[in-house]
Amino acid sequence: MSAPDATQLEPAAALAPPARKLGALRALLRSPSGAVGLAIVAVLVIAAVFAPLIAPHDPFRMAAGPRLAPPSADHLMGTDQLGRDVFSRIVYGARLTLQIGVIAVGISLTAGLLLGLVAGYAGGWPERILMRLVDVLFSFTEIVIALACLAILGVGLVNAMIAIGIASIPFYARITHSVVLVEKNKPYFEAAIAAGASRLRLIFVHLLPNVIPTLIVVGTLGVSTAVLAAAGLSFLGLGAQPPQPEWGFMLSSSRDLIARAPWMMIFPGLAIAITVLGFNLLGDGVREVLDPRQRAR
Amino acid sequence: MSAALLRVEGLTVAFGHGRGRNVAVEGLSYHLDAGETLAIVGESGSGKSVSSMALLGLLPPRTAHIEGGRALYRGDDLLSLPEAGLRALRGNRIAMIFQEPMTSLTPVIRIGQQLTEALEEHRGLSGAEARDKALEMLRLVDLSDPPRRMRQFPHELSGGMRQRVMIAMAMALEPDILIADEPTTALDVTVQAQILDLMRDVQARFGTAILLITHDMGVVAEMADRVVVMNKGRKVEEGPVGAIFARPQAEYTARLLAAVPRLGARREEDGPRPVTADPARPGEVVLHAEGLGKTFAGRGGLFRKAAGTVAMDDVGFTVRAGETLALVGESGSGKSTSGRAVLRLLEVDEGRIELEGEDLRALPHGSLRKARRAMQMVFQDPFAALNPRMSVGRLIGEPMYIHGIAQGAELQDRVAELLRRVGLEADHMQRYPHEFSGGQRQRICIARALGVEPKLIVADEPTSALDVSVQAQVLELMLELQQSMGLAYLFISHDMAVVEEMAHRVAVMRAGRIVEMGPRRDVLGDPRHPYTSALLAAVPRPDPTALRGKLPKLDLDTLPMGALRQAAPNHWVAA
Amino acid sequence: MARFIAQRLVAALITIWIATIAVTLLIHLVPGDPVRIMYSGFQTTDAEIEAIRERLGLDQPVVVQYVMYLGRVLQGDLGYSIVGDQPVLDTLLQRFPATLALTVSALIIAVVVGGSLGFFAAYKKGTAWDFGAMTLAIVGVSMPHFWLGLLLLFLFAMTLEWLPVGGSGWQNLILPALTLGLATGAVIARLTRSAMIDIFDQDFVRTAHAKGLPKTLVLYRHALRSGLVPVVSMLGLQFAYLMGGAIVIENVFAWNGVGRLAIQAVFARDYPLIQGFILFFATVVALVSVIIDVAYALLDPRIRYGT
Repeated sequence: MSAPDATQLEPAAALAPPARKLGALRALLRSPSGAVGLAIVAVLVIAAVFAPLIAPHDPFRMAAGPRLAPPSADHLMGTDQLGRDVFSRIVYGARLTLQIGVIAVGISLTAGLLLGLVAGYAGGWPERILMRLVDVLFSFTEIVIALACLAILGVGLVNAMIAIGIASIPFYARITHSVVLVEKNKPYFEAAIAAGASRLRLIFVHLLPNVIPTLIVVGTLGVSTAVLAAAGLSFLGLGAQPPQPEWGFMLSSSRDLIARAPWMMIFPGLAIAITVLGFNLLGDGVREVLDPRQRAR
Repeated sequence: MSAALLRVEGLTVAFGHGRGRNVAVEGLSYHLDAGETLAIVGESGSGKSVSSMALLGLLPPRTAHIEGGRALYRGDDLLSLPEAGLRALRGNRIAMIFQEPMTSLTPVIRIGQQLTEALEEHRGLSGAEARDKALEMLRLVDLSDPPRRMRQFPHELSGGMRQRVMIAMAMALEPDILIADEPTTALDVTVQAQILDLMRDVQARFGTAILLITHDMGVVAEMADRVVVMNKGRKVEEGPVGAIFARPQAEYTARLLAAVPRLGARREEDGPRPVTADPARPGEVVLHAEGLGKTFAGRGGLFRKAAGTVAMDDVGFTVRAGETLALVGESGSGKSTSGRAVLRLLEVDEGRIELEGEDLRALPHGSLRKARRAMQMVFQDPFAALNPRMSVGRLIGEPMYIHGIAQGAELQDRVAELLRRVGLEADHMQRYPHEFSGGQRQRICIARALGVEPKLIVADEPTSALDVSVQAQVLELMLELQQSMGLAYLFISHDMAVVEEMAHRVAVMRAGRIVEMGPRRDVLGDPRHPYTSALLAAVPRPDPTALRGKLPKLDLDTLPMGALRQAAPNHWVAA
Repeated sequence: MARFIAQRLVAALITIWIATIAVTLLIHLVPGDPVRIMYSGFQTTDAEIEAIRERLGLDQPVVVQYVMYLGRVLQGDLGYSIVGDQPVLDTLLQRFPATLALTVSALIIAVVVGGSLGFFAAYKKGTAWDFGAMTLAIVGVSMPHFWLGLLLLFLFAMTLEWLPVGGSGWQNLILPALTLGLATGAVIARLTRSAMIDIFDQDFVRTAHAKGLPKTLVLYRHALRSGLVPVVSMLGLQFAYLMGGAIVIENVFAWNGVGRLAIQAVFARDYPLIQGFILFFATVVALVSVIIDVAYALLDPRIRYGT
């Protein structure tokens, strides 16, 4: 009896040991995407924390070298049109990138989780109205909502972070709502009601712990979306302002110099792409770790 | 002795590699003769399905590996045949039908095309010829209006009808062998009886050999000529059906047969089997329900409301302490709805529910929560009913904690005691639900319910997700708890044999209404409602010598579905 | 089916209606005086500011403003832009064909490239092919599309000089469409793969194999046709994202569509134009998702023949 029906014997479900606490990290490292993602994110965090130690030059100092100098031993990634060291700017840019990720995802995750949880638990007409509204906002897409927010708040990197945070709320609300609906319809939730659990207990002891894992995955993936969006807004000139070493903004100043100084375009873009890739892989890895348990039945 | 049609020798199938290698079938050998029915029977994990999928190369690619053995069919080894050769046999000489008729047909393709494509592929029939053959097959499997069926999509047909389509599809090429993998497990018992009859008819007509994979000893007794019993990937016994049932050689077979509930075994008894020295007798009324009604709103549009589905209509019953009332019926009968309604897990539209004289529907939210202490529930799927992120100790302790019965060390002690009470060990409380087997999980659910010392337990198909040997143990536990603690059970089940074992009284439900209700001995032994009789007649008997008679033809339009009238003392029948 | 279309149309109208409310509120959420912010670049006296306020109806209560705005929108009047004083709707309509050309060609590229890559990966699930295809897809998802645009520009327009750097001819459409199409294609590849893997695990695919049909027939008739249903249902949302992505891509390639207009409007704090753009965007997205929902319903008999 202990062996599951062999027709449903999927190796992942049958063999993957359940991850718990320390085991979770080990399981994450065992998944290829999780390990690579974790490594990339770790490099990013190290760059942000130890930026002054790592960067060979002051990222703001003009004429740290000749203008538009190609990559060399002194300037690993060359210099920009003002003679600033591109490598140093990219290292410092990691700080801004992490800030963007944390602030934007923090805003959207908190608000979205709350909205989705309330709508999903309440049911009835509050749910219908709330989710209808969320759906409509969702179809406006993040970038348009962010543009609207920036039209209200004015341009700037902090405003861009807030705008992106607000713009992604519908996405997180939808995900939370759908997970809540799934969990709410599982027998264990009904079993908790039958046991006499209070509303608070139902939400915080039964629903929330089963919703959180999905949101960890979504939030990790969400960092990459936020980083992309912020870079996009900065590229358009709506986010970071000079002289901030923001990667998207660095890209936009490279635009007119692509032919003369392609390194100004290549390295900041690479930095964004690798960062985003890192969070995407980490998110996929976390999902792989969390999934077998949810499917194991 | 003529050569066997199919001879399987030393079949070994495993999932995964290296340390993760998991042998599903090991050294399985059997033979199938032309025109006979061979049943491969076993519980979950026995490898019965895997072994038959392996024959046709239908195992999940890259995860399952055939590690050894041969399967000889007309001189070819199916296991080493190249894909093209195997494909030429599949659906042509060896056809297959599956357990889940609801998902086994492609949803976006018309029934007609799904029937004709194999004919065109294997026989090279023209479109018109294939169509004629398909129509003939649909008539043969007794589907009404075949031309219309051809144009329909699967979602427009019921489960039973879809399984008929599957049979028509499989038999259209008049195969030598039909592999039927749990063909009736997903169906209601009356539909199951019809499908089994149909399979026998087509077998007689085409002389097909059937390889029947099933867990149900009743189906085996009814269908099989010979039986292979499997356990944990190995064959434990093989023989003619009569011998297997009468004189099982292997200890496992004997245990399996002993665990199978037999309808009619307790025909002469008034109550369930006593399992304690001094079983509690039925006492005070615990639960009284009357006039319950519930209509689920239809998927209405924006401007008009679609007619809803009536799930419960004028349902009423009482359950006494120490007594089991069984609600039986097929899917959609409203039995589960009734069970959830009395616990107020769903709100009824009308009616009265009294628990120990207190009107539950009048209770505000807070008082209802307190009242829940007296009524607990045991669910069908014991895994889904346990929050996967809570330890067993917390799960069992939760109701006691909620109702302020115990805390801290005292709570721990009581949880330990409950675990032992249901046959588990105290140190199991550190573990999580997924570390337990199905039967153990159901014991955990029962322990969880017992902690608050309830008066009433609603058990919704508590054993239908379990293997038969585990089912017997869980039922035994439930009887023992009732008889020693005087619990009232509302026992919801589709399985008449289980009901006979457990119930003092029975209520038969159909289409949201109770059509017959009374003492178990009267309802099962002397059914007064035609639907009850049909239900009982359809149950396959796990006894090859006592064959089920012909099915009574049920005219659904004229079934009495009115108010209950007393036909005999305490025996109520719909007028 | 008619009822289904009606339902989708009503949903689209609700979306557009909510958009009208949102854009009316937008101007009221601006901290400070929106009129002064709008005209900060102009020499204006206080009297002129008040006159503008009156002309825009901003001296009225919000509800009155909304009713007036809705009334004008229903007559096709989205107001006049601050910069250039042009009718907003005319400006948008004049720019829209360029955006439509970009998004539609990008959608075609995305569906063809992403769909086949995802289907192929699902079919080869667990092999090196699958791994390669999915690595490509996740790199594509992670690449900022404006960077991809710059790279393509650098490669094809500047280094190889196959294509012009800027302009408005069809040759100029190739790079932006390719950029947007490949970026979206990566997303579609991932979605298609998981949808197809779900389908391949379904019982009915096993049934089709058990019938002895050739592999290609099982694949195309049974699996792909069923798989198209979930894939097509995702396209509405993907189109919305394409429209959003177009805003950035138009700026990379100096492609004169509505997206470029929108960015200019945000910079200039040209509120009538911003309002008009958001409303216009919402309307286009809503109508396209109706079309896609209908296509999806046509593929799925459970909806086509349902009530």
